[in-house]
Amino acid sequence: MTPDGRCIYGLVTDKAPEVCIHPASLAAICELFLQSLRREDLMIARNRKPFSILLLLTVFALVAAACGSDDDSTPATAATTQATTTTAAMEEAPTTTEAMEEAPTTTEAMAEEAPTTTEAMEEEMMGTGVDVPMYETWEDVLAAADGTTVNWHMWGGNENLNSWVDTYIGDVVKERYNVTLNRVPLGDTVEAVNLVLNEHQAGVTEGGSVDMIWINGDNFKTLKEADLLFGPWSEGIPNAVHVNWDDPSIAYDFGVSVDGLESPWGSAQMVFVYNSAFVPEPPGTFEALAEWVHANPGLFTYPAPPDFHGLSFVKHMFYWAADDYSVFQQPFDQAVFDSIAPKVWEFLNDIEPDLWRGGDTYPTSIGALQDLLANSEVYFGMSLNPRRPSTLINNGTYPDTIRTWVLDTGTLTNKNYVTIPKNASNPAGAMIVANHILSTENQLIQANPEQWGWGLPTDTNTWTQEERDILNSYDRGVATLPFDVLAAAGLPEPHASWPTEMEAGWIENVLEA
Amino acid sequence: MTSTPTPELAPGPAQAVSERLLPERRQINWLRWATVTIIVVSVVLPGVSLLLRSFAFRWHYPDVVPGEWGLDAWAYTIDDTSRVFESLGNSLRIALLTTTLALLVGMPAARALGQHQFRGKRVVEWILMMPIIVPALVAAMGIHIVFIRLGLTATVLGVSLVHLIPATPYFVLVMSSVFANYSPALEETARTLGANKIRVFRYVTLPAISSGLLVACLFTFLISWSQYVTTVLIGSGILITLPMVLFPFLGQGNAAVAASITLIFVAPAVMVLILTSRSLGRGSTVMGGFGKV
Amino acid sequence: MTLERRRTPLKERLKIPLMLTPALAVILLLFLGGLVAGLMQSLGYFPAAGLTEFTFRHYVDAVTDRNFLISLWTTFRIAFSVTLLSTVLAVGAALVLRQRFSGSRLATFLFQIPLPVPHLVAASAVILLFSQSGLLSRIAAALGLINAPGEFPAILYDKASIGVMLSFMWKEIPFIGLVVLAILQSVGPQYEELAQTLGATKRQRLVHVLLPLIMPGVVSTWIIVFAFTFANFEIPLLLGQSFPTTLPVQAFREFQRPELTSRPTGMAIAIVLAVITVLLLIAYRRLARYSRST
Repeated sequence: MTPDGRCIYGLVTDKAPEVCIHPASLAAICELFLQSLRREDLMIARNRKPFSILLLLTVFALVAAACGSDDDSTPATAATTQATTTTAAMEEAPTTTEAMEEAPTTTEAMAEEAPTTTEAMEEEMMGTGVDVPMYETWEDVLAAADGTTVNWHMWGGNENLNSWVDTYIGDVVKERYNVTLNRVPLGDTVEAVNLVLNEHQAGVTEGGSVDMIWINGDNFKTLKEADLLFGPWSEGIPNAVHVNWDDPSIAYDFGVSVDGLESPWGSAQMVFVYNSAFVPEPPGTFEALAEWVHANPGLFTYPAPPDFHGLSFVKHMFYWAADDYSVFQQPFDQAVFDSIAPKVWEFLNDIEPDLWRGGDTYPTSIGALQDLLANSEVYFGMSLNPRRPSTLINNGTYPDTIRTWVLDTGTLTNKNYVTIPKNASNPAGAMIVANHILSTENQLIQANPEQWGWGLPTDTNTWTQEERDILNSYDRGVATLPFDVLAAAGLPEPHASWPTEMEAGWIENVLEA
Repeated sequence: MTSTPTPELAPGPAQAVSERLLPERRQINWLRWATVTIIVVSVVLPGVSLLLRSFAFRWHYPDVVPGEWGLDAWAYTIDDTSRVFESLGNSLRIALLTTTLALLVGMPAARALGQHQFRGKRVVEWILMMPIIVPALVAAMGIHIVFIRLGLTATVLGVSLVHLIPATPYFVLVMSSVFANYSPALEETARTLGANKIRVFRYVTLPAISSGLLVACLFTFLISWSQYVTTVLIGSGILITLPMVLFPFLGQGNAAVAASITLIFVAPAVMVLILTSRSLGRGSTVMGGFGKV
Repeated sequence: MTLERRRTPLKERLKIPLMLTPALAVILLLFLGGLVAGLMQSLGYFPAAGLTEFTFRHYVDAVTDRNFLISLWTTFRIAFSVTLLSTVLAVGAALVLRQRFSGSRLATFLFQIPLPVPHLVAASAVILLFSQSGLLSRIAAALGLINAPGEFPAILYDKASIGVMLSFMWKEIPFIGLVVLAILQSVGPQYEELAQTLGATKRQRLVHVLLPLIMPGVVSTWIIVFAFTFANFEIPLLLGQSFPTTLPVQAFREFQRPELTSRPTGMAIAIVLAVITVLLLIAYRRLARYSRST
């Protein structure tokens, strides 16, 4: 019966649908016939008493409830996320480490357990003992991983990165160590975190489906606090000698102590992007930026937090408003927040009417802002990878008049890492991949704009002079700032307890105001 | 006899009807053309701009057609590293298995709901509707845990089963309305004439419900085809499907790559649609099943 | 069937439960099992965040949030407008497409194309076309109608959520349209013919014959589309204004917060949404029964 209680007689075979659409006369007979049938059916139905249905339902409900509810024994569930943070930040992993080589940073003696030789290639390390769980020597690790597969979960929205990983990491580890790399493309890093948390909750303590995750910030914090990470291992692998673990920007991931639970892969630094065709001289300070915005309404905007780039912009405003960013390195302090925040909200509300679309709305992601800039809807953008704008010019996304600059007050930097869950099936294989990432050979490919063009988390002081010369010979790209400019501008991220408050404050005082 | 008129009998009345309604047709021609134009524009324009976008290298405002063309996006899409073809195969396998499972699971229930009145029918209908009503976010995590306990993660069967959850309501909905209009009396007749069960199904039941069945299968296929979050969780990253390859690029990645993968993603679905369109469009009543929820 | 039942009453009694078992097993075992975990979280049972006491606090938090009513209104406004506009346009399209004319087959086929396209792709297509630097804006610029992207009407990320509604409608009009088409064809032309022979004008036939015939079906698709639009977060997240936003987007944002403690709030919002949807469905059932009886 159709909803209107009438018989449908248009049911047709797909052989000749068009001929039986208006079977008016036949239909009338049909309908009468069917109606008599239905009446009979209905009478039968009234006599039926399928108690068994209710019984079955109850049984199913009980079974289902038993299945889904005994999560009491497990400490961790569901993920905390702030997905945007990691994906956005990671898309653009840039480079301060190279900068450190020129800047007077803390590159003192290398880690004690490893020899300080700059040519410490992994082949020489093989017989050496390694400081990782489960394995005595690196040879043991290599033997354990031989012929295995590593499931590496990582954000998959950058075609260049996907190709690089498959070519320069996947193919190499397959050839050298017989380790197959299965790169799992994710829309958001939080999905891998959810997988690990759910498996843990279901009692999967070994043989888990995630071997390695590209991660940083809150996702790392969540897994670390839930005690779901393998390790400590990252300071014990052979190529850890190339990482300066005394550098707080590596030893702390958004204020969370790394403690050997993740190994660095890339580094990110915020730069502002502008279209030099329309803006000959970008403003060097926030005050000058405000002036420019008022003079040129509708041509500036920033992504709305919780987008990571937008949040970075707001964090940066706090640094500017406070004059002294060291207060943000401490855990959140309401009094400090209350004393600084009004100046930030006042500034942002002041420019709001002259923002893109009159500040009625903000781009929701960095991708949206990129589109606006590419199509000259606005003249400014931002990037967490100082080289990314050059790449985007080369791949046709940006016009070739795009350039970058940093404000006089500096820009935020952070690192991204790879981590191994506690229940990973193949921690040995994952460590081999992580170790290969830190090899100077891979780092040179990673830093080469013609191949990869990414920032380095390694300390180039541990390299040979020739290796450093190769690094310095790379063409940085037309829109990329020189290393010394970037190095001088680097500011540490605030402690992990601040961004949430800043985001909530922005939403309440700027977005909703 | 049955609600399905035999095609040979139908043309006469149908033609007579069109002739009788003919005189007024010309008056509403403008409305017809407006409608058709809007339909064509709203489907063709996005399609064309996706196609252009996928072949565009530089396409900045105010260029109406790309300023520079390029095959980079397609080169990536057909490259192994994009995993498009691998995931295409997985998606097809999973969607077909889901459709098969929906047939097995949904047909009896649809027949019971469509042809019988019984106590508790309302309750059953509500339960079957639940996956449509409750946002997937709420249940996704719990479903994953259930599947881990049942040992179904990282298998094609497991992923198909989880796709079955959102697909079952639609399948049962469509098929129950088909069965509501299908009279079992003919089967009875065939049986009394000596046909066995298989022959009854093959020659009596199947022809009568085939077009509706096709549409129900189409819906199931399409629902499975676009599943994302559940696939990531239950597939554990070992089974990569097309949405997993496509979604990371939407909104934040390279727009040309997003466009080319989108075209690959939509193509098989449109093909399935072409195959079933005769049943879905003109002359079909099965979509009316949604009017019966 | 009647005969069978008389012969073997027990078998017949078990027949329907057995037929329903597989489908119910899928939903109850797989879906309900998962739902329980979500419900427990929304009720504050969440050991990972140090919450083990059952409480309605998260529901109270969700409902008393100062933005709850604004978000609810935004959600309702979008869902209601989308459903209403889609239905009107879909009925119109169906009335045109049921006629036979040259090109009608192709038009009907094209009409169905949006059905298999995921909502996220639909949203991307809307961005490609309707953003201030989209294809339409470029065409306008080429025709000399506008000089800069900013002069093109802002229909994405806008106050009225036009972009969000366009994406939804692009998907839902074909859905409703095909249902209406199916009903129209099942109804057949004889009522109209009868009305015509009785001297009814075209307008009268539409208002007094066709619309009453398709109304019950339209009401039910209306509710499906409404329930779906009401719960979807992807499109408003991608195309909507940053503030005010919809309840599903609010829930999604709660899920994304770094503190584990906001997860139960997200769950609670989503469940409040589901409850509202159920209430609407019940209202629909009443309405449908009412319209059927009249």
